[in-house]
Amino acid sequence: MSTQVTSAPERESSQARRTTYFLLREAGIGIALLLIIVFFSVFAPRFASLANLSNILTQISINTVIAVGMTFVILLGGIDLSVGAVLALCTVVAGLTMTSTAFPEPVAIGLAVLASLAVGSAAGLFNGFVAERWKIHSFIVTLGMLNIARGAALQISGSRTIFSFPAGFNQFGTQTILGVPVIFVIALTLVFLGRFVLVRTVFGRIIYAIGNNEEAVRLSGHTPSFYKIAAFTITGLCVGVAAIMYMLRLNIASPILGVGFELNAIAAVVIGGTSMSGGKGSMIGTFLGACIIGVLNNGLLLLGMGDFARQMVTGFIIIFAVIIDTYRVRLSVQMAD
Amino acid sequence: MKTAARVFALLTILSLVLAACVAPVAAPAAPAEVAAPAEAAPAEAAPAEGAAAAVPAPAGKNGMPVVGLVMKSLANEFFKTMEEGAVAYQQGRGDFTLIPVGMNSETDIDTQISAVENFIVQDVDLICLAPADSVGLVAPAKKAIDAGITVVNFDVKLDDKALTEAGLQDLVFVGPDNEEGAYLAGVALAEALGEGGKVVIIEGNPGADNATMRKNGFVRAAEEFGLEVLESTTAHWETEEANTLMTNLITKYPDMQGVMAANDSMALGVVKAIEAAGLTGQIQVVGFDNIGAVQELIKEGKMLATIDQFGPMLATMCVETGFRMINGEDITGWSKTPVQLVTAETLK
Amino acid sequence: MAPILQLRGVTKRFPGVIALEEIDLDIEPGEVHILVGENGAGKSSLVKVLCGIYTRDEGEILYQGQPYNPQRTQDALHAGIRVVYQEFNLLPYLSVAENIFFEKLPTKHGLVDYKKLNQDAEAVLKEVGLDVAPTSRVELLGVAQTQLIEIAKAISTESKVLFLDEPTATLTPREISRLFDIIRRLRQRGVTIIYISHRLQETFEIGDRVTVLRNGRKVDTLPMADVTVADLVRMMVGKKMGEEYPFDTTVAPGAEIFRVNNLVIKHGGAPLGFGVRAGELLGIAGLVGSGRTETMRAIFGADKRIAGDLVLNGQPLRVESPRDAVQAGLSMLTEDRKQQGLILDMPCYVNISLTDLAAVSRSGVLNHAAEVTAAEGLVDELSIRTSSVDKWVRFLSGGNQQKVVLAKWLFRGPQVLIFDEPTRGIDVGAKYEIYMLLWALAKAGKAIIIVSSDLPELLGICHRILVFSNWAISGEVERPDFSQERILELAYQNYVQTEAAPA
Repeated sequence: MSTQVTSAPERESSQARRTTYFLLREAGIGIALLLIIVFFSVFAPRFASLANLSNILTQISINTVIAVGMTFVILLGGIDLSVGAVLALCTVVAGLTMTSTAFPEPVAIGLAVLASLAVGSAAGLFNGFVAERWKIHSFIVTLGMLNIARGAALQISGSRTIFSFPAGFNQFGTQTILGVPVIFVIALTLVFLGRFVLVRTVFGRIIYAIGNNEEAVRLSGHTPSFYKIAAFTITGLCVGVAAIMYMLRLNIASPILGVGFELNAIAAVVIGGTSMSGGKGSMIGTFLGACIIGVLNNGLLLLGMGDFARQMVTGFIIIFAVIIDTYRVRLSVQMAD
Repeated sequence: MKTAARVFALLTILSLVLAACVAPVAAPAAPAEVAAPAEAAPAEAAPAEGAAAAVPAPAGKNGMPVVGLVMKSLANEFFKTMEEGAVAYQQGRGDFTLIPVGMNSETDIDTQISAVENFIVQDVDLICLAPADSVGLVAPAKKAIDAGITVVNFDVKLDDKALTEAGLQDLVFVGPDNEEGAYLAGVALAEALGEGGKVVIIEGNPGADNATMRKNGFVRAAEEFGLEVLESTTAHWETEEANTLMTNLITKYPDMQGVMAANDSMALGVVKAIEAAGLTGQIQVVGFDNIGAVQELIKEGKMLATIDQFGPMLATMCVETGFRMINGEDITGWSKTPVQLVTAETLK
Repeated sequence: MAPILQLRGVTKRFPGVIALEEIDLDIEPGEVHILVGENGAGKSSLVKVLCGIYTRDEGEILYQGQPYNPQRTQDALHAGIRVVYQEFNLLPYLSVAENIFFEKLPTKHGLVDYKKLNQDAEAVLKEVGLDVAPTSRVELLGVAQTQLIEIAKAISTESKVLFLDEPTATLTPREISRLFDIIRRLRQRGVTIIYISHRLQETFEIGDRVTVLRNGRKVDTLPMADVTVADLVRMMVGKKMGEEYPFDTTVAPGAEIFRVNNLVIKHGGAPLGFGVRAGELLGIAGLVGSGRTETMRAIFGADKRIAGDLVLNGQPLRVESPRDAVQAGLSMLTEDRKQQGLILDMPCYVNISLTDLAAVSRSGVLNHAAEVTAAEGLVDELSIRTSSVDKWVRFLSGGNQQKVVLAKWLFRGPQVLIFDEPTRGIDVGAKYEIYMLLWALAKAGKAIIIVSSDLPELLGICHRILVFSNWAISGEVERPDFSQERILELAYQNYVQTEAAPA
């Protein structure tokens, strides 16, 4: 029944469609970032310098790593509001381990890193398990975890800032590799690792598929709950990594840090074009989203803009990104006709 | 799923146990614990108060007097220390009951208002109030006083205009002079830099009274000693935010010489940013609050000074002031608690 | 009488595609005009042009002799042209009356006049023969009732032209006959009806004239009396087809390979059981709501079952979840392919490989080339019309989407295939292709279970038909004994003593 009359133009148009779609999604955000950078390079004094670039890279690293984890849960149509509080808990546990005199320094550092990763993963596992087992929206579960983790961090630390980490640890945080700050190297590694998992592995494939149509995935012989719980655990693991990065950067651990980190991470993911309803988005987009937030924060200050104005501009950018997203959705609906 | 549910149950129990640990301190178990007054005051007593014998506890409405302590966020190290000081004091004396109430966050006024209302219902003898909002807590304070409860304001002063409107212009305030403290820190920085030194001010939360007062103190010192303020901006009391902000400010003002941070948490982030930029020693930093981590930095010479306002004593002094009033002493107005500059010298 | 709608050279283009090409068409007032064509033939585009969702690129439309250029749907509604869609546009939490008069609620002193609203609604409901209270909430109603409310809405706004898009797709025979009564009554009142349906047989009961579209062009407009189903199919497809339903007598079913015993899915329900043989096409007939779909879902592990054992190749089979079922060699093509079968916004190859990702990956890392090659093989084998396997499934026609669902299960290579309504909503040509595929599977020794509401379809292609009635199997009919009457009798059997058939 296939006739040449219909299939030939159809093929062309699908090519055109895909190109448009690609431009709007992946390239769109990259071009936006580029424009912002060009703008600041011209107008903001001292923006375009290696030292400043290195600063920005350091500044976005922690948010990038949390956002990498957040991308997994948002791709599933979920959310994790607990990342900031869990980060604080991770630093407290790791900080206490690291400053413990029971172990020799290198062992204490190693154990602290493991402890942070373990606490982060356990919190994520808890979020995922409760959300799946009792079919509670992750918004609620992670809101609960936010309070649990914050409370636990305060309890364990007695509200105190923990410091005096081994000198080797503190120095490592300021190291650069070929001029690139080491914590950014960690962040970038996680971005590419995350991208690999999402794009090239069975696990990532199923994450996308669940985000689009969970029931279809279930009826195709998979167990969505397993993947969803795993995604939350990955988010927790990323938070554990971010906690260590925080300690490398600021050399303190504190139960009150990380307030509002969840919102920054969500903003990065959304600006990066990942849909809050799940199923669509990319790790590179998330990274570019984190870059945009970091560059704006830095550039607007250098431009001489005040606190409140900076906050407003960032707010508008988030909304603007979501508006772009609705056009994308509309475009794909029109294409379907 | 069964094992999973069991694990969950375990976690729940665990969190309940945790919750129990943070439950408010009730009256001491046995009156026999009434110890010698000398032991009561913490060892590092404020210089002004000295080791003076404790004020005798007044007779309570229902036996032992009951004191409601309304604190700000106990997540904040400063208030946590203060609360612990008050609890230690109460346990040392054992002749009154202390009910401390904290808040969930720095801006959570509702919790404080409810706490005052609950204390009115419980008909406590004394309420010590560290308001999160200097206007918002005036009405509850008025209500408590009308109910015959002695109210003493501490830490942050309630708004004068609002107090006057409520007819409470004479409400007793026990607290440090934040403005004076910041001024002292500012002076220390000015003396280190000399006239014309270029500085930035890292402010606390916009709208918070102590943030405003500290900023005013910094600005007064800068004006008097001819410091040039390059920029005054907020990092919302937060370490990470202060770090990012400072990194960017160093880029913006390569000739910066000094930083006045409105609290020590932010000073920590500022010091790290200076270190990362390789400018340690070239940019001087002063902070406020005298937290442990900052004492280290001052000893290492990475920070110039901070301000001690004797947090652990603040609530204690408030309780004592309240007891004096109940005992019949005529106290009004602001009884200032000491603020002291902390430098490498004083830490030796 | 002058035509109520006249189309002259109406053309609508999309980038790279011509949706409608030079359509000339006259619609007479008060006729039931049938519009048929394969999916993508241009039926929907034509409706959208006439009701103001699309604007035409070329051509002229006269409505009651006047030029008619709707820019928005409101323009069409004001002119008295209305569409009753397949997907209903009702507000589930409002009452029936509020829905009917939603666009023009009667008011009194600025407030809704509920007394008048409910009285008016009652009158309109009576007209469409729907026996529900005007105050009942729409969400509590069944599909057929909802559809009648849509029609009631059309009557209340005194529409002159009414488009019905696949109105019988989800209705039972009894509901269909009621709908046809209403259509006849509307025709008597002078309402013009344009009726779009894939179910060719039923259009003969109701239509006056028929227009056939193919590839965006009009093939012909003819009085219904002058054509047969076979003629229509030929015009739609563009070539003559052998038989509507293929049945290959040379394929004899082998031994029983799959059996269900003592299956209970409803508390207090009677246990049921059946078996299916290798190479057998087993039909499952029954009214909508008779428990057919639920039974299949329970067998597949998609829903919980209270009791029941499965046996595959003589071995007991433990199925607690779809995962168990798939791994054991069962597959199920669900009734609702968009909601449950496909991931619309992902490429074809992703949908196809989803059932067996282990086959195209090593240690959890996907082999993209292997995946695409496998998908391309199946796309060719099933002649799925798509420009590439990268194309999102959303952009394929209904028939091709269904073939993708089939492809994904063929990729897994199951032994037992359960099809729930495999040809619903897809056009004649694609239907025939799917029948041929079912037969190819039977020849390969697979056991095939087909649930369908289209009785002629089951009669045409199955070896054996099980009839469900009120959550139990009321009978089994072998091919030599196939008769529509016999099966309908069984389908209603269990409702007779206990309660009335579901409305």
